[in-house]
Amino acid sequence: MTNWLNENVIWLIPAAPLLACLWIVLVGQVIGRKYAHRPLVLGLAVSFAASLYLLAIALPHALEDSHHAVIAPIYQWINVGTINVPVTLRADAMSALMLTMVTSVSLLVAIFASSYMKGDPGYPRFFAAMSLFVFSMCMLVLASNFLLLFVFWEAVGLCSYLLIGFWFHKPSAAAAAKKAFVVNRIGDFGLILGIFLIWQTFGTLEFSTLFESPKMINGILAAQPEIFHWICILLFIGAVGKSAQFPLQVWLPDAMEGPTPVSALIHAATMVTAGVYLVARCTPFFVHAPYVQMTVAGIGAATALIAAITALTQYDLKRVLAYSTVSQLGYMFMSLGAAGAGEGLALHAVTFAMFHMFTHAFFKAVLFLSAGSVMHAMGDVIDMRRFSGLRKALPITHYTFLAGALALAGVPLLSGFWSKDEILAVLAAASRGGEHAGFYATILGIALLTSLMTAFYTFRAYFMTFWGEEKFPEEAGHHPHDAPPAMAGPLAILAVAALGIGLLTGPTHLYGHYLHHTPGLPEGYDFPMDWLMMGISSILAIAGIGAAYLLYVVSPGIVQNLQRRLSLAYQASQNGLYIDWFGYKFIAAPLRGFASICEFFDRWVIDTLVDCVGFIPALFGSMIRPVQNGMVQNYAAVMTLGLVVCLITVLRALAGTH
Amino acid sequence: MTATVLESQLIVGATLFILGVIGFLTRRNLILIMLSAELMLHGVSINLTAFSRYHGNPQGQVFTIFVLTIAACEAGLALSLILSLYQRRKSLDVFLWGKLGEDDLPVFSGSQAPPVTVTADPNVDLPHLTPAGRMPKTQPGPQTKT
Amino acid sequence: MDWSKENGLLIIPLVLGCFAVCWLMPSTRQRPRILGGLAALAAILMMQAMLLPPAGDYVRSVLFFVFAAAAVISAGLMITDRNPVYAALWFALVTLAVCGLFLLNAAPFLSASTIIVYAGAIIVTFLFVIMLAQQSGTATSYDQQPIQPLMASVGGFILLGALLFTLQEWGHIDGTSTSEHAEPGQFIALPKEIEPNPLSQAPHDNPHEIGSLRVLGRSLFGDYLFSVEIAGTVLLIATIGAIAIAPRRSQGTL
Repeated sequence: MTNWLNENVIWLIPAAPLLACLWIVLVGQVIGRKYAHRPLVLGLAVSFAASLYLLAIALPHALEDSHHAVIAPIYQWINVGTINVPVTLRADAMSALMLTMVTSVSLLVAIFASSYMKGDPGYPRFFAAMSLFVFSMCMLVLASNFLLLFVFWEAVGLCSYLLIGFWFHKPSAAAAAKKAFVVNRIGDFGLILGIFLIWQTFGTLEFSTLFESPKMINGILAAQPEIFHWICILLFIGAVGKSAQFPLQVWLPDAMEGPTPVSALIHAATMVTAGVYLVARCTPFFVHAPYVQMTVAGIGAATALIAAITALTQYDLKRVLAYSTVSQLGYMFMSLGAAGAGEGLALHAVTFAMFHMFTHAFFKAVLFLSAGSVMHAMGDVIDMRRFSGLRKALPITHYTFLAGALALAGVPLLSGFWSKDEILAVLAAASRGGEHAGFYATILGIALLTSLMTAFYTFRAYFMTFWGEEKFPEEAGHHPHDAPPAMAGPLAILAVAALGIGLLTGPTHLYGHYLHHTPGLPEGYDFPMDWLMMGISSILAIAGIGAAYLLYVVSPGIVQNLQRRLSLAYQASQNGLYIDWFGYKFIAAPLRGFASICEFFDRWVIDTLVDCVGFIPALFGSMIRPVQNGMVQNYAAVMTLGLVVCLITVLRALAGTH
Repeated sequence: MTATVLESQLIVGATLFILGVIGFLTRRNLILIMLSAELMLHGVSINLTAFSRYHGNPQGQVFTIFVLTIAACEAGLALSLILSLYQRRKSLDVFLWGKLGEDDLPVFSGSQAPPVTVTADPNVDLPHLTPAGRMPKTQPGPQTKT
Repeated sequence: MDWSKENGLLIIPLVLGCFAVCWLMPSTRQRPRILGGLAALAAILMMQAMLLPPAGDYVRSVLFFVFAAAAVISAGLMITDRNPVYAALWFALVTLAVCGLFLLNAAPFLSASTIIVYAGAIIVTFLFVIMLAQQSGTATSYDQQPIQPLMASVGGFILLGALLFTLQEWGHIDGTSTSEHAEPGQFIALPKEIEPNPLSQAPHDNPHEIGSLRVLGRSLFGDYLFSVEIAGTVLLIATIGAIAIAPRRSQGTL
């Protein structure tokens, strides 16, 4: 039994949500529309249990037998000449950790959504898309080669599109979905080019051959060292698109048009971290491209800073969280980029990036879900200026949000503290030596600044929402109700996770040591705790919270003053440093102009040509058409004519026989 | 020029057949059109019996009996059709039934005859064919769900 | 020119007949109809010259000429008469003449049944309908305006010419092989021998019984039994269809 499980648990993980999806799509529309969430929750529970089993038993079992990963071939997809692409599931330590995170967060979000989405006319559609998403995400993580990864990379993008545009009758939602899809295309283009290049260079796309054989990489490295830069930069472009990094971060804040559970699951916890996963997965390549890693760190820092600045002044609660997500993803990329500083640092850089991704998934999910709960209570109003003082009215939401906010801000001993602190530590280590010490010192400075701002804007949102005088918008009715049990349960679990999971897995090195089993990760020295950075980040977190308390609770007048004095800077922050505007003005508008020229050409030149061609049969037709005038006798006359012709032909033939 | 008995019979049959064709093509009265068709059948029947005698076996006569049967069927059906057509337009004029043609063509009205004005009967709800090669007129569909 | 010389005898009556039919067609203009009648008569007489029998069996020849001329003339008058009631009556005459021809072709049963079916049922019904539809009894405008009479006549007579020409060619091939033999003074000519029907399973018939009910019945209900059944089904279906199509009383009768 255990043997069977060890071998087959891996395909159970994606199969369960796929079955749920098929059930909902085929049957759920008709039977039990109200209970469309049940197959998904059941499937995700199976999936979660399976990934836990994989994490705790199957994979260690495989590692004992000195296999690097659990592998389950499904079938041969493409087998043409030298091209050979099997559909194979492959789980190593990194995948197992990621799967556990994905399935656990999805399970909780699904339970939350079953109550949150109640009464929506598209209830089954929502859960069908969500099952498809979880399936695609699991397959993305379990993919054993780049091509399969790309397929499901696109699939999660599609699900994201479907779910952002879930309320497609809202023009803003439809536009946001389109925007997310189009912006993602840019990144995907880079990714597929990178995959082509890998294919051309190595002749294979299998992870196991690519990452588990340093000999091959070293061979290529000796022959053409610059090729790794190209591969890595192209792969990174893919990651930039999916993980909403500068300059492609514009789609993520707009993606908040989707239902809140979607924002929590896809646009905070799972899909957007796929880029981080991709870069971490390709660490064996990236270590040979130090300049690309510096680019990664630079882009990450720029993104983190820009997003944090923008988040400072937003009034839309979900947008604050969205910008915060972008900022935290920037953190992860900063950490990944720090691998470029030295050979030994790469392992820790990747570990801490993945660890931050892990903790971030929980506390950002709880933040988003709490924001969803606020929305639920406030009658779908999300503008923080229209409500305040919800502390009394929504106690559960208040506490869960507070837990998430504390974790995000990096208050000592909570999960955000551990992961963020480790990123700061690895950056500090990178800036201590090596030829690019100055560069990494700048990055560290930005990271610290961002950390301060993170604490500030998180608690700004918290204080604006839950403190101050009690105020409800009209849409809420008189007595806003707190989260029902189906929403409160997941919130509480996630809040506990947000508070404790960092402490449980961070300082004990549970996560790190497990991740180190991933094949292909370079060796690293022991990384000591950086007490200095811990101290600084704690101080920054407390300072940020204190500043927010001062400005938004004690004396709100200062904010108004500041707004007036620094109106230019305020406006810039409010509008996201005009990056969106810039994109529309200088990229979208010229393209639109070009498109209109093409349209003109199509309409007046090509259409005219086609019409000309179409005119010829019409001309012939109009010549013959009068025959078809509906008079039976006309038709009979034609028949007679045909008879005459036939007879005369026969006659001529007979005359010929004489 | 001489002809055998068979040939003379065939000539008569052919003549009757052709006269039937001419009548079918020229007359505008629905009933006369049907009568002309019967005339053609007579021509064919003469041929069949002539051959029957020429070959000296009853096959031709048997065929004639079948022709007779079908002619009876045809007459019955044609008359009931003509009756119901007559009810709609109160006329036996075949020009009033040119709706099988393309919609945008003028109603055919012969060479010398003055154009026939078709008065549309509002009670008549006949199916309308879409003119070939045209987009069918679609009802403005229900608004998409907003 | 050789061709036209050879076939001039064929072409002239055709042209004359075509002119006659065209001329006699009902028209709004007044024409001397006698002109058309004369042309038709000339055409028929010329054709008659073509139809001279080889043997001197005058009784049968005269009878054939009478019936044939009656059928053709009645048919011509039927398609040219402007009054549909008269046209139907002319058609009755055509039917009678055709029945005479049937008799000459040794088909007495057929001739009787055709008279019964046509004259007794079909024409009466047609007349019924005409009288119901045109109670005034006078010719209506559309009965006086044929559709493109010239084109139809010319086309029709070209077809007739083609048919006759074919007959002529065939007659030259094996027109002499007619096996008929008539005793002088015998009304119905009988074949010398009967060609066996390749489909028939019945024993060979006596040549003298051709056209008799026995032979006909054996063939009809022996060799063509299934066809008879199908014909019966067709009749039944036609009856049902006619009843279904015919106007209900609730919609008002004519």
